[in-house]
Amino acid sequence: MGLVVTEEEPSYADMASLVVWCMAVGISYVSVYDHNGIFKRNNSRLMDEILKQQQELLGLDCSKYTVEFANQDKADQVLNCQSALKVLSPEDGKADIVKAAQNFCQLVAQQRRTYTDLDVNVLDNLLSSTNGFPDPDLVLKFGPVDSTLGFLPWHIRLTEIISLPSHLNISYEDFFSALRHYAACEQRWGK
Amino acid sequence: MSWIREGELTIIERFCGNIIKAGPMPKHVAFIMDGNRRYAQKCHVERQQGHSQGFDKLAQTLRWCLNLGIREVTVYAFSIENFKRSKEEVDGLMDLARQKFSRLLEEQENLKKHGVCIRVLGDLPLLPLDIQELIAQAVLATRNYNKCFLNVCFAYTSRHEISNAVREMAWGVEQGLLEPSDVSESLLDKCLYTNNSPDPDLLIRTSGEVRLSDFLLWQTSHSCLVFQSVLWPEYSFWNLCEAILRFQMNYSALQKARDSYMEERRRQQMERDQAYVTKKLQQEGFASHGDSQRRWTLLQKCTAMREERIQGFLQALEHKREDFFERLCTVSA
Repeated sequence: MGLVVTEEEPSYADMASLVVWCMAVGISYVSVYDHNGIFKRNNSRLMDEILKQQQELLGLDCSKYTVEFANQDKADQVLNCQSALKVLSPEDGKADIVKAAQNFCQLVAQQRRTYTDLDVNVLDNLLSSTNGFPDPDLVLKFGPVDSTLGFLPWHIRLTEIISLPSHLNISYEDFFSALRHYAACEQRWGK
Repeated sequence: MSWIREGELTIIERFCGNIIKAGPMPKHVAFIMDGNRRYAQKCHVERQQGHSQGFDKLAQTLRWCLNLGIREVTVYAFSIENFKRSKEEVDGLMDLARQKFSRLLEEQENLKKHGVCIRVLGDLPLLPLDIQELIAQAVLATRNYNKCFLNVCFAYTSRHEISNAVREMAWGVEQGLLEPSDVSESLLDKCLYTNNSPDPDLLIRTSGEVRLSDFLLWQTSHSCLVFQSVLWPEYSFWNLCEAILRFQMNYSALQKARDSYMEERRRQQMERDQAYVTKKLQQEGFASHGDSQRRWTLLQKCTAMREERIQGFLQALEHKREDFFERLCTVSA
């Protein structure tokens, strides 16, 4: 899941809530993005907010979760909340593709590769900005701008893009209804 | 003309068109023409009929774009992923392509009159040979027209296009035309199938789906994305106006984002160049921060040499592409 902010002034508290909600509903990979790279530059501030929200939101409801999942024997997993987070900026998009291209061309110059070796899969494996992360299934885009503003162009080829008016004071209901909207999407994969 | 409907706008359409044209207008619009099959199902007709109606709608939409002064249109006609469809459907689509490209070649006079430049973008060797030949003829015949541009993405996906661009740059390095350090965003731009077009200002996808499906991912990173729920064969002039209005509402925010992105890109290139010059000076035994005149001269020299390499490479790439089309034409002659 990609959380893309197109508003000029990002809010650390609201973004932290969104990240924690993602973790709570079991989304394993979360990316945060704004086209000015503000979140990335202030990574530690965002992390602090997330830890704070994690305690507030999940700490209080921990017992509730245990009760809900008790009969599925998943209590341990819920408490551990295994989610991975990446904070991204435009340099993780086109610039990363260019870096991969340069690296490949270096190998060609050293005669360790030939140009015909490069195909879609090879290039995909050369990209590093999202190491270990799968392509996002869903992007929640916040703000009035109808564009991805440079968010991971290569990786979003099949990503559903759901727009919300703003991430400021976003409510859990709004977040969850966007997820429900996503669940209703039917992908035909070209067939 | 079969690919562009003849006719002018109605009075009401012209009136609204003039109002819209008072604001900023997109110069290049891209369409994901989705919904032909769902339309066919809705109207209880064959899928093939849906695709055929879809083509008619394309002809109509191109007419509207021209009437509104939008001179470049790119459409997603057939994805490499679509080869996964049933043999029947794929054959049907190929037949439709044969039909339409043949018709196009019969209308050369009209194409000349309207100055329509047709480009077909994609991994063309994946297509049946006879279709490749028809495409080659259409592309070469209209190559020099420049009143309006129609780019048809056929046997296309964006990832294949980007990979192809990187492969071409690697080819350039292998041929000794390029240095690995010449590889940059702007060079990659020039190696894409769309290198002769500006990035689309506006991307419209019909039928309510909200994804890009591997279409122009690189080129639309800062484009206005409009997702409309109407099925493609039912697309109307008002749907188009609505999309253009959305473009207008996003115009200044997108301009600003694009400008700051380009500024950042320039700054990073400058940093890289400076670092390169520093390294070079150190190699030659000069103090890296010593003589600013020497730095400046070296920087100019390196930039000029790079420019020369890039021009040589792009010319070679252009020849390679032209050769591909010309060889197809001699085959069919």
